[in-house]
Amino acid sequence: MRALKLSKKDEIKLYDVLKEFGEVWAPVPKGSKYVYGKIEKKEDLVIHEECILPIIPVKKFLMPPDFTMLKFTPSKYSIPEEDIPTTVVVGVPACDIHAVNILDKFYTTDYVDNYYMKRRERLIIIGKSGTPRENCFCHKSNTSIVEEGYDLFFFDLGDYYLVWVGSEKGDDIVRKGADIFSEEVPKDVSKKFVEFRRNRNKSYINDVDLEGVTDLMELMYDAPFWDEFGEKCLSCGQCTMVCPTCTCFNVIDDLALSGETGERRRYWDSCMFKDYSLVAGQHNFRESKAERLKLWYTHKLKAFIGHFGSPSCVGCGRCIETCPVDINVVTVVEKMKG
Amino acid sequence: MKKKPTLGIYGFTGCAGCQLAVLDCEDILVDLFNYVDIKVFYEAMSNNEDVANVDIALVEGSINTNKQLNELKEIREKAGVLVAFGSCANFGGIQAMALGDGKWEQRFTRVYGDAKFTVAIPREAQPIHKFVKVDAFIPGCPPSTPQMLRALTQLLHGNQPTYTNSPVCLECKFRENECLLNDGKLCLGPLTMGGCTAPCPSHNTPCIGCWGIIDEANHTSELKLLKEKGFKTEDIIQRFRIFGGSKIVEKVQKLLEVE
Repeated sequence: MRALKLSKKDEIKLYDVLKEFGEVWAPVPKGSKYVYGKIEKKEDLVIHEECILPIIPVKKFLMPPDFTMLKFTPSKYSIPEEDIPTTVVVGVPACDIHAVNILDKFYTTDYVDNYYMKRRERLIIIGKSGTPRENCFCHKSNTSIVEEGYDLFFFDLGDYYLVWVGSEKGDDIVRKGADIFSEEVPKDVSKKFVEFRRNRNKSYINDVDLEGVTDLMELMYDAPFWDEFGEKCLSCGQCTMVCPTCTCFNVIDDLALSGETGERRRYWDSCMFKDYSLVAGQHNFRESKAERLKLWYTHKLKAFIGHFGSPSCVGCGRCIETCPVDINVVTVVEKMKG
Repeated sequence: MKKKPTLGIYGFTGCAGCQLAVLDCEDILVDLFNYVDIKVFYEAMSNNEDVANVDIALVEGSINTNKQLNELKEIREKAGVLVAFGSCANFGGIQAMALGDGKWEQRFTRVYGDAKFTVAIPREAQPIHKFVKVDAFIPGCPPSTPQMLRALTQLLHGNQPTYTNSPVCLECKFRENECLLNDGKLCLGPLTMGGCTAPCPSHNTPCIGCWGIIDEANHTSELKLLKEKGFKTEDIIQRFRIFGGSKIVEKVQKLLEVE
């Protein structure tokens, strides 16, 4: 890994370098929030000072909300030829890169999901460390620093960005943009970097205490507060849509009128919906909303550790910002800790 | 060649938009004629048989007169599978927004005075399942083309139609919208059956529930939330009622009692 310097006066030239590698996507405003949008002009590529957490995280590039998996006839099937463009996504915060690392494990361990892989191979991630937002708690979930999973990663050190190169693709980019990415990093860079990190660590607002929650999930599994949350839950499923590590989907076959040909669709599903856990014979494994909430929080704070070595909550705070009735990691942890 | 299944598309009180939604499947309409023999299509054919013996009957609209009621019963007798087609047939539609308040006659007299009806005797709007056995339903106001075609295809092949048992919020998030509830708007997305692809919230307009109430709708929690946001109880309940029809009366009678 190596580090370079990108002067802020050269920031405007970044778009032209990146667009040589594919479509450039970055946070663009939508109402009072941001979404990842395609950038068409160099002026629209804005690197924000604070962490930007678009409504739907990076997973939208890797697994579209609704797509056709295959088309079939009575005798054969074919996977649609897709022209998946290489996408350079700019401004991804560390937590969301951790989330992509988790998705990588999920979609490639034991069984490789090719729909995921072909998009993953075409995704270039340019991370950016920013000022934490009100709901951020990546400092508590150990996801405020990221060491892998990005191609380039930017730190704002005043009048320049310190740029970490994290992959061969990232290296290709800095070589292509040799006139803006400089090897000559200022002598006091280490000092500034330490200072940046120190200031950043001090600026968190959310101080949710995650210590011991993995064990508490087990101990509090039958606590009555789950039923209180269950009564409040609107089952809107927004938490699962905005969560950067939620991966659940449903698969349905849409037949043509003939009943012979058709297509198989795959779309994001949510464990907050009743039908998600409904099986043949009308049995439902998680009839109540409380049970579904428990499942989700178990998955986020505990169960993933056994499979992949870390919890699947990356501390982005989207559930805090999104749940209309305030069921989120903070309120759940508060209840668990009394 | 196997005999084509026969189809009847009937309409009672409503805007006829569900029937038009069938015509709106332009690309696939010709294909539809290849697979079904349409015997009745009130909105689109001039040589309709009155009520035909059909394998599948799609019934749009609510029942608002005795004449319609008799016709509905005849449709039921002559249909293999009877499908409630769209919101009005399923829940009564907006004409049933005051169902359960016990003041229909009072309202009727206020509008029509002591007018005498001889051909069709009016009655309070009701969804069709109040009178006849309904075998399947297709939600929507009007039903979306893909959802309707999926249901029709399933019916043609002897299967029960599946519908989208997830709220509008799912598709709203697919379209990366900010939650309008969090934005302080009176949005019924979480209470409402999806399948519409969330066009209203995508244009910053709150969902008013036109697809009908989803099984798991949590009206109690949403009412509480909206009150906390400063909406008046009566305004919230009124919004719940617009497309709630019979389902809101059945599901949340207790809630209505607070009115």
